[in-house]
Amino acid sequence: MRRRQVARYALLALWAAVVLFPLYWLVTASFKDPLAVSQGPRFVPWIDFEPTLAAWSAIIRGVEKESVAGPLLNSALVGIFSTALAVAGGAAAAYGISRYRISVGPLGNADVLFWIVSQRIMPPIVTALALFLMFRVAGLLDSRLGLVLVYATFNLPLATWLMHNFYRQVPLSLEEAAKIDGASRGHILWRVVLPVSAPGLAATALLCFIFAWNEFLFALILTFDHARTMPILIAAQHNQRGIEWWALSAMSLITIAPVVAITLALQRYLTSSVLAGSEM
Amino acid sequence: MIHFPTPGRSRETARPFLFPAVALLLLFTLFPFAFTVALTLSRVSLVGGLQLQFAGASNWVRLVTDGRFWTSVRNTIAIVLASVSLEFVLGMALALLLYAPLRAGGVFRVLFIIPMTLTPIAIGYMWRMIYDESIGPLNAILREVGLVPVGWVSGTHMPLVSIIITNVWHWTPFLFVLLLAGLRGIPTEVVEAAQIDGASGVQIFRYVLMPMLTPTALAAVLLRSLEAFKIVDEIFIITGGGPGTRTESLTLQAYYVGLLSFDLAYGATVAMGLFLLVVMAAMVFLSITRRTREGEEHP
Repeated sequence: MRRRQVARYALLALWAAVVLFPLYWLVTASFKDPLAVSQGPRFVPWIDFEPTLAAWSAIIRGVEKESVAGPLLNSALVGIFSTALAVAGGAAAAYGISRYRISVGPLGNADVLFWIVSQRIMPPIVTALALFLMFRVAGLLDSRLGLVLVYATFNLPLATWLMHNFYRQVPLSLEEAAKIDGASRGHILWRVVLPVSAPGLAATALLCFIFAWNEFLFALILTFDHARTMPILIAAQHNQRGIEWWALSAMSLITIAPVVAITLALQRYLTSSVLAGSEM
Repeated sequence: MIHFPTPGRSRETARPFLFPAVALLLLFTLFPFAFTVALTLSRVSLVGGLQLQFAGASNWVRLVTDGRFWTSVRNTIAIVLASVSLEFVLGMALALLLYAPLRAGGVFRVLFIIPMTLTPIAIGYMWRMIYDESIGPLNAILREVGLVPVGWVSGTHMPLVSIIITNVWHWTPFLFVLLLAGLRGIPTEVVEAAQIDGASGVQIFRYVLMPMLTPTALAAVLLRSLEAFKIVDEIFIITGGGPGTRTESLTLQAYYVGLLSFDLAYGATVAMGLFLLVVMAAMVFLSITRRTREGEEHP
């Protein structure tokens, strides 16, 4: 039995090493000077190479390198506003679907829910090229507003699906009581149902934010300059003077830090049902 | 689903609640989708404003005779099949390792989830650095232990393998989390009963856990596969689709053709090819699910 336990820990530790090694490499690379990178792999700080903050100070102050400030701000604004819009739209739609009888021709509530949720299956590239032309005509190319609208739509199926699941756990008696007191339907949703679903709202918002924050393809096609987000800034490091791995690593870490922080702080909300929905 | 009794109060409809969501989907998903279909049947000119000219099936004829398109179809399918099966096996192994309570189990669980939340572009560069043939650590380790260094992103087959390895690192967490939850959802009495009857660990897995886990496993594999068809970010960074067009996925090719070569009509046709592939995959999965369910009902 004991030996079995040891084997179990050994296998878990092995996978933990597989998960951690690339991240370790990224972190150490951000503290290397150009020579420590180009002279072949250096593994251990202070022994193999002397750590330096040069890359970090360069990308933060924008000396010799483009500053990360603009794209970071874009990522944050687009992430926050698109999340707010997706969660608001999704929470409202899910409420309508779970509390009313809907009939559109032969279609009922389940069909409407399926129609909304199934939009997530659509590969982004299918709409992205058309959106490029639409935005060009509408003057929304390279605008944060354009990205907010696209990301909100992209996250809407997920938000609707998750909120629909959370509403199922809200006891109807609460709403009926409020209804007898003469509250309007919008009022009931806002004052009764949403407060009770707060943990669900938080989890939903979190996931929508992570998806918006990480998104690449739409941003690649729909922005060039003003509205560029962090993934676009990172991807653009490709071709200038070769790859400056040290700066690139620091930028990558700045980009992944918020999502890691969210995951660690709120992991209890990231239950399996939420994560399952995340790929819907 | 429980509804408020509404007959006689026909003014109370769900419409106001559904309006924002439906409006967004119509404007930014359905309309662009219809537009893409129109693009596949057109010649596009951007000189003096956007102009579409009907071009019949010419884009589609070009598509089915285009070797580059079929290469990316093959790449995309290979990535989906190889990645998702490896992710399933590894995810299952990890879920089984963490199934029984364990001190520090929570720490491992969180750590194992992290890769799936990271920004794919950052993951791409991280792995590109690791695969680098002169400065990367993988080849250094291989040399150190006396093996031959590998051309991770050059040659015929390795680049695709490298992309699959990265995908497995990135997405095994998804299968792991869902399968672990599925395992934990199985009533413990069932497992205990089997133990009392003297079943071995392997037997319990094969005859008790596995059948009860099948619905969860199918759903997890379906969701991951449909998502895997859309792969682009990591390929864009690690190989850029190269060498040549050897590791292009359908999304990447549609982007290159549509926006870099600025042939929007043909790019849209490639994208629509991906759409049809995803729809076909979804249908195959649904028929497998249905058959599995029927199999359960009539053993």
